[in-house]
Amino acid sequence: MVRRSGRGAAPDSVVRVVARMLPAPSVMVAAALIVKGYAEVGDGFAAGVIVALAVSLTYVAVGADGAEAVLPVLRHAPKIAVTGLLLALASGFFPLVYGEEPVSHQPAPGEPLTKFGKLELFTQLLMDIGVFLLVVGVLVMLLHQFGRLRGEEKS
Amino acid sequence: MPWAPSLDLHLSFRLDGLGAIYGLLATGIGALVFAYGTRYMTLHLEHERRGAVERWRFWPWMLLFAMAMVGLATAQDLVLVFVFFDLTAVCSYYLIGFDRSDSKARTSAVMALLVTVVSAVAMLIGAVLLYAAYGTFAIPELIERVGPSETTTVAAALIAVAALAKSAQVPLHFWLPRAMAAPTPVSAYLHSAAMVAAGVLVIGRVHRLLERSELVMTGLLVIGALSIVVGGVLALRRDRLKQVLAYSTISQYGYMVLLYGMGSSTSNGAAAFYVMAHAVAKSALFMTAGAVTMATGEDRLSKLGGLGRRMPVLAVASAVAAASLAALPLTIGFFKDELFFAAAWEEGSVTTVLAVVAAALTLAYIGRFWVTLFLGAEKGQVTERSVVMVAPVAFLAAVTVVGGLVTEPFARLAASGGEVTAGRPVEVDPGYHLELSPENLMAIAAWTLGGLLLAAPRLTTVLSRTLARAGDLFGPRRGYEAMLHGLDRASAGVHGLEVRDLRSSIAAVLVPAGLLVGLAFAATPTDGAFALGHVSGADWVILPLLGLITVVTLVIARSRSRLAIALALSVVGFALAAVYALIGAPDVALVAVMVETMLALVFVAALARLPQEEPDEDRGSVVRRKRRRRDVVAGSIAGLAAFVTVWGFLSKPAAESVSDDHIRLAPEAHGGDVVTAIVADFRGLDTLVEITVLLVAVIGVATLMRRGKTW
Repeated sequence: MVRRSGRGAAPDSVVRVVARMLPAPSVMVAAALIVKGYAEVGDGFAAGVIVALAVSLTYVAVGADGAEAVLPVLRHAPKIAVTGLLLALASGFFPLVYGEEPVSHQPAPGEPLTKFGKLELFTQLLMDIGVFLLVVGVLVMLLHQFGRLRGEEKS
Repeated sequence: MPWAPSLDLHLSFRLDGLGAIYGLLATGIGALVFAYGTRYMTLHLEHERRGAVERWRFWPWMLLFAMAMVGLATAQDLVLVFVFFDLTAVCSYYLIGFDRSDSKARTSAVMALLVTVVSAVAMLIGAVLLYAAYGTFAIPELIERVGPSETTTVAAALIAVAALAKSAQVPLHFWLPRAMAAPTPVSAYLHSAAMVAAGVLVIGRVHRLLERSELVMTGLLVIGALSIVVGGVLALRRDRLKQVLAYSTISQYGYMVLLYGMGSSTSNGAAAFYVMAHAVAKSALFMTAGAVTMATGEDRLSKLGGLGRRMPVLAVASAVAAASLAALPLTIGFFKDELFFAAAWEEGSVTTVLAVVAAALTLAYIGRFWVTLFLGAEKGQVTERSVVMVAPVAFLAAVTVVGGLVTEPFARLAASGGEVTAGRPVEVDPGYHLELSPENLMAIAAWTLGGLLLAAPRLTTVLSRTLARAGDLFGPRRGYEAMLHGLDRASAGVHGLEVRDLRSSIAAVLVPAGLLVGLAFAATPTDGAFALGHVSGADWVILPLLGLITVVTLVIARSRSRLAIALALSVVGFALAAVYALIGAPDVALVAVMVETMLALVFVAALARLPQEEPDEDRGSVVRRKRRRRDVVAGSIAGLAAFVTVWGFLSKPAAESVSDDHIRLAPEAHGGDVVTAIVADFRGLDTLVEITVLLVAVIGVATLMRRGKTW
């Protein structure tokens, strides 16, 4: 895999196929992690890294330009990261508006929760989604930045 | 108001007597200086051929400075005082260095910043010492709790050092004359009524703490006296207008430090009165200097003269201000010296003589300043007249005269200020007494002596020159410069050592970390630490895993193939993740697996791009062997330290840990999973900060890699 993903050499076909197929399921796994996050293992950060892993495999398999051609949605990474950060910050600091300490979540501890299937609805969830988006965005941006050597930029 | 309750910091402000005095000075003189500055800065920028937009690099700092000053005047908490103290210093840095193309202005700005900020750290240390001993940063509470002790002496001395450096007292005075590189409004504000006054303000505010230590009070006396004499003598023969005023400021704040050093109720009230009278006069004189320089384009006394006929209003107004500084009757300044003399007389014969000499010096230098400027043969061309630049001077002169006739409001303000300082009611009762009181006799003696000095320029020249030369040779500025160069060299040396190659950069992190941990261990009792536990249950799985990690680590150290190293590293990572999972930290294990996978992928992708062979120019050479040995030493130090720490910690975990609370509270916070609950709720604020850092880091990468293009 190593030598093949090098300059000029064609990547292994198995790697390419796997890389091609992995992003969609990875998003599913990430969603699962977030949904069950509060009851069981996993949270927004882990979910974000999983998606980023699938993306980075694509980068390794088909190169930076190829990956960005296959997954055009990647170019929104900066927006995704900023949205995530704002969402998390907003969920953290919104309580200040009605005079509570930052990061005091609703519903308050001990109060009953609204459930939507397995998904528990509370403001921590917003923060988790924010972290997820941020991690995905940041890691994809890093891949983009380091994905090409100097002089290899698209003209 | 609580600010960071966990650190016991409070935003406590109160407008008391002292706060009122300094707040009024900061806002009142501030308003005048701002008015004056509108015209001055326009002209200044025109002269320097800079765009008018540049004034936006000036006014915000002035405004921030004014706010910091008001905050400082009303702050009742040592940490808060420190924060505002530093805020004023930072503002002054930008204001002094406003003419950034002028290298002198830049070095002056750095000097002012370093001297005041470094000494302000002394105040912070003093505050922390007091907190450790008495459990509060609040000044009123501290005053009640603190008794005389060694800690008190040290803390009081440290706070005093910060305050004295700020007030430009000998031997930390040298920054002030340099700071005259600033535009004149800055000097008229910061260096007469605000920044330098901040030091005296702090002394006035914590005076009852300082009082607990005889040593510190004596120190104040000595330093005040020294500053009066050094500042006064040096001011006698300066040529540049603002330099005369700068040395005069050093001398005048020496009066106030001296008064606080005496520590009687009379002197505390007198000091508060003195601050007001001095600030008004000095500010007017600074603005005079600026107006003259702008009008004529000259800033040296030797190139100026006979301006009285051409700028009559300015001449009269500044005459009043100068008379006030020299304590002539009918001005508010007369009373500042009357109170000063009274306090000095009460104190003893030494201070009496000193007071007379001080007043004589003041009369001599300020007399020379005004006489040379406005009387005598006409020198210099007046090209620019501005009402806006004369009016504030005239206004301050009017205040001076009013204060000389109706002292009541000023006296009452000073009395309430003195009361805050002394903690008991203070009498400030200035007035004209036409009798042979000691104060009046001292005043007459001072005028006579001052007149003599003024009439004997040869003598003052010799005196001033000698002192200036001595100062150049042995003065504290030399020490400052030597220190700066020494630090610079040391830093360059360490930096050179650190960045020589990758190995030394890593060693620069590992070795100090190891040594510091070692030091910490030498200082902690190790009773009961380093116990060997029992092996049971899941441990039988963990142990082989750890053995595997050890073996692989050795492989990494010995291996020569990059790919092998990268893969071995991820073996270590995955094995550790397995260990986490086994000891009941599935969340950590999950994240560890993810991150390891990511790292392995990145390593592999990066290695594929490197040239195949590493450069082998020095393989097997002596240098290489030596380097290897150094690596082993550095690695061993850090590794041993880490090993000892972990072992010690695991054999004796903290009895009560916050994690117990976390586990107990997690279900209540709707979390079945403790780690998630910690990240999103209990330590949510930390998480928010950390994710912000993440985005900042990626922007940093983008800036370095492709000039800020994020995509």
